[in-house]
Amino acid sequence: MSVLVRISDGALSTQRLPHGLSPAPAIEQVGATLVFEGIVRANEQGRAIRALSYEAYEPMATNALTQLARDILHKHTLIAITVEHSRGEVLAGERSFRLAIDSAHRKEALAAMDEFIDRMKRDIPIWKSPIYI
Amino acid sequence: MTIRVLIFGALAREMSCKEITIDVTAPATVRDINQALAAKHPSKAAFFQSARLAVNHAFAAPGSPVQQADEVALIELVGGG
Repeated sequence: MSVLVRISDGALSTQRLPHGLSPAPAIEQVGATLVFEGIVRANEQGRAIRALSYEAYEPMATNALTQLARDILHKHTLIAITVEHSRGEVLAGERSFRLAIDSAHRKEALAAMDEFIDRMKRDIPIWKSPIYI
Repeated sequence: MTIRVLIFGALAREMSCKEITIDVTAPATVRDINQALAAKHPSKAAFFQSARLAVNHAFAAPGSPVQQADEVALIELVGGG
């Protein structure tokens, strides 16, 4: 089982991070991979924006994301979770968040995805501020 | 003792600052910090009274002790993703 969390400056690349699983046996158990990407919308509450600025309270943000990923991994019996989140400015249309879940079956990955994002938005010390045009 | 409470996001923008300084009597708890914040900003008393605080980068229960050198942060209105 594997958890990888990375908070980095600016927009995320279009390529997800490798999950870091060693070859056998874990990787051979993967039967489903779900990837969710959060993309900055071009408007916020009806106003056009140029970008969102993300502020992370570190090291608590990375530690809390790691703990959340471990909790979800064990609760849903997953194989790997990879979390990427932006810090600083991300332009409209760019990626600011990516959650990749590897599991043996689809159902646990879908349930885990939903729970992870709900808890992240409630508990992880990351704030976003709109930068209006 | 004087405690600095770090604030972030929309709250920091609204208050035009990055921290709130309060005075509490030692020994103090997280609950005392919440009450001091509410007393200092009565227009937001309900919010500060129940706001979640982190002490030294971990969420802290209302009864947890707070020392002068601790880093205290208000973790509310988060919205990553």
